[in-house]
Amino acid sequence: MRLITAVIKPFKLNDVKAALQAFGVHGMTVTEASGYGRQRGHTEVYRGAEYQVDLVPKVRVEVLCDDEDAEDLIGVVVKAAQTGRIGDGKVWSVPVESVVRVRTGERGPDAI
Amino acid sequence: MTVSFAADRNNRSIQNDRWLADLLGAEPGVALVAVGGYGRRELLPRSDLDVLLLHDGRDGIAEIADRIWYPVWDSGAHLDHAVRTVPQARRVARNDLKVALGLLSARHVAGSTDLTESLRAGALTDWREAAPTRLGELHEACEERAKSSGELAFLLEPDLKEARGGLRDVHAIQAVAAAWVAPAPGPKVRAAYEQILDARHALHEVTGRRVDRLVLQEQDEVARVLGLLDGDVLLRMLAGAARTISYAADHVFRQAERAHGKRRRRRAERRPLADGLVSQDDEVVLARAADPESDPVLVLRAAATAAQAGLPLAPRTLARLAECPPLPVPWPGPARDALFALLGAGHAAVGVWEALDQEGLITMLIPDWERVRNRPQRNPLHRFTVDRHLVETAANAAALTREVARPDLLLLAALLHDIGKGWPGDHSVSGEVVARDVCHRIGLAQADAELVAAAARHHLLLPLAATRRDLDDPVTVRQVASAVGSRTLLELLHALAIADALATGPAAWNDWKATLIADLVGRTAAVLAGEPVPAPAPLRDDQLELLSSRDPAVIVRRVEPAQGVAGAAAQGAEVTVVAPDRPGLLWRAAGILASHRLAVRSANATSVGTTAVSVFDVAPEFGELPDATVLAGDLRRMLEGRLDVAGRLDRRARAVAPRGPGIPAPKVTLIDDASDTATVVEVRAHDAPGLLWRVGRALGDCGLDVRAARVETLGAEVVDVFYVTGGDGKPLLDQELRRQTTTAVLNVLS
Repeated sequence: MRLITAVIKPFKLNDVKAALQAFGVHGMTVTEASGYGRQRGHTEVYRGAEYQVDLVPKVRVEVLCDDEDAEDLIGVVVKAAQTGRIGDGKVWSVPVESVVRVRTGERGPDAI
Repeated sequence: MTVSFAADRNNRSIQNDRWLADLLGAEPGVALVAVGGYGRRELLPRSDLDVLLLHDGRDGIAEIADRIWYPVWDSGAHLDHAVRTVPQARRVARNDLKVALGLLSARHVAGSTDLTESLRAGALTDWREAAPTRLGELHEACEERAKSSGELAFLLEPDLKEARGGLRDVHAIQAVAAAWVAPAPGPKVRAAYEQILDARHALHEVTGRRVDRLVLQEQDEVARVLGLLDGDVLLRMLAGAARTISYAADHVFRQAERAHGKRRRRRAERRPLADGLVSQDDEVVLARAADPESDPVLVLRAAATAAQAGLPLAPRTLARLAECPPLPVPWPGPARDALFALLGAGHAAVGVWEALDQEGLITMLIPDWERVRNRPQRNPLHRFTVDRHLVETAANAAALTREVARPDLLLLAALLHDIGKGWPGDHSVSGEVVARDVCHRIGLAQADAELVAAAARHHLLLPLAATRRDLDDPVTVRQVASAVGSRTLLELLHALAIADALATGPAAWNDWKATLIADLVGRTAAVLAGEPVPAPAPLRDDQLELLSSRDPAVIVRRVEPAQGVAGAAAQGAEVTVVAPDRPGLLWRAAGILASHRLAVRSANATSVGTTAVSVFDVAPEFGELPDATVLAGDLRRMLEGRLDVAGRLDRRARAVAPRGPGIPAPKVTLIDDASDTATVVEVRAHDAPGLLWRVGRALGDCGLDVRAARVETLGAEVVDVFYVTGGDGKPLLDQELRRQTTTAVLNVLS
């Protein structure tokens, strides 16, 4: 199993959600986040502010999936979140050792 | 190396200029402007590209920006970008000091030169017009930076850019010069700047990262890239450069203040201060009648006058003082008096000394100074280079002159106590010789010179004996008394120990050390006065009371910091443990204390009949002191064998951050002459929780008994001292047993 985390532009959340649902993802966790990357939080190419690092509001989406779905899912998220402008965000995945559904006690892939 | 660092930086700037010009192409109404370090053509391997896209308000500027910024981002270069019209850029600069400073080094890269020129001219005009307030802001920013980043010259791991005396201070000097208030940096400052910039350049190359802090592990490699022998040579070079820069910056800001500040006067008043010296504009300058060329004492008289008046020496006065002929050897009386007056001025002397040093006047006065000048101290305890530490010690000693019979000798001993650090070997030993030479040079009487030399020889005697020896052992006091020999020297050493520790750093001095040294001095003074060696302090009533009860018991008593002791007041406590006497009780109890996060600083055991009274001096590592009943409970369980102290301490040791590489191996020394009744085992190792307990257990396993222990923590290092006796209650004489002991202790430490 893998955990896929995507940090994306907030207004792209609906697109990503729809794309994931269409792919067959049943659940996800969404949190509000803030951060910056290579452009140091400058949101526009034409204004800029020297020597200043801003934290930009972002949305963090987390999805658990089977190992074999991981690469496809990442592709789906990247496609849905892309604008081609600075600040589009990042997607990464990490291995997950165990997952338990709290209500039933199901474990492993069944719990996803 | 075929290409110099400066040429490399310049080439990098030219390459980037070409690249950006290609990206911009031929566009009307726009210009690319390099600002900051890029503007100065000082691009280091990992520098930011500070670029401003200037435009005249035309349409389509966002597309042009995209065309330039995206390829730069994609190349992985760090970009600080902005897109502005000339009025916008000037407005931002008016509200943001950093932007304003960046614009002062604006340089045309591509596009319309007219736009760039109008920005440059406008930004400079704005800067000059607003100089009275902007320069004040700039000075404040520099001081703020110095406060948070420290002084480059004295840091073991300095920030080459931000620290006081670093690159930013030179940019500040340039900014003041741009306001037409002071001249541009002179050749000395420019050379110093290039040295630091080269070091930063090498640091980028060595680390492959955009870092400005020269950390310890990079220093040797950076030195190698720069073609220097090692990290020490590098730090010494940087210290010299940084001192040149901070001295120049101080002077430039004084000029700025005088030009704009409240001190402005139509005609400065001259007020006589001393023979040949007057104060003018809050600086000490030469009187018109003064004649440096025929007055060799003038240098010291001027310095003493400035320090006593709390004023700086004017730079042109310093330059003229350099014309003074050298002092005859031995110095005449007035020169000596002036030196004592200078040192006696306390901390006001530090700035004056620094100024003399910058002009090379100190090494003219005291040639031996050259060897300690800018010498780094590779020791986290020390906050200054050796020469500055000596001056700071003398400044601290000035406050203690009332405590000693010979204030003049105290000041001189403080100034010379570490002078031996420029020579190989034990610095106390070489220091004695050098100090004696200097005393003869300055014309001190033979007996006085011997006292100062002895003070340099023994300046560590009191602190070391007080913290690493058992004061209750008569041998300790007897040895100190025979080394010191006279009341006058004892007083000198006491005051010197305080001044030295305060000038070393915050970790070098606390209440506990102050109390121990005062105690040792008291006992030694009594012996010197012919009284017998004082008996150990008797047990207190509350301690004796516990003896009557059969059960193990514990008292925890908070020790209030002594009144009037300067420096960090480390919170401490005294823990008394009373239990049936048995071998190994002392270190076992120390283990319990360690498991309660108490750092043990000293331990002493006394036997009363079949009961042992162990008194510990402890300091909580963090948090509050534990309750006595909890400690007593643990003690009882341990004596009954129901408490796993080892397990507890192991768990704690695992929670402590792992050691970094490069920690020197522990060292164990057996000392025989420190006590008549016990052998002293001195252990030097890296600090770790429960060290006393671990070493104590190893000693116990060898069949030895620990009577007393001292722990001195020196940053990450500790010196543990154990007074041990064999199973027969006598010092260890058997060679085989001594060897076993050393091996056993080393084993638990590795």
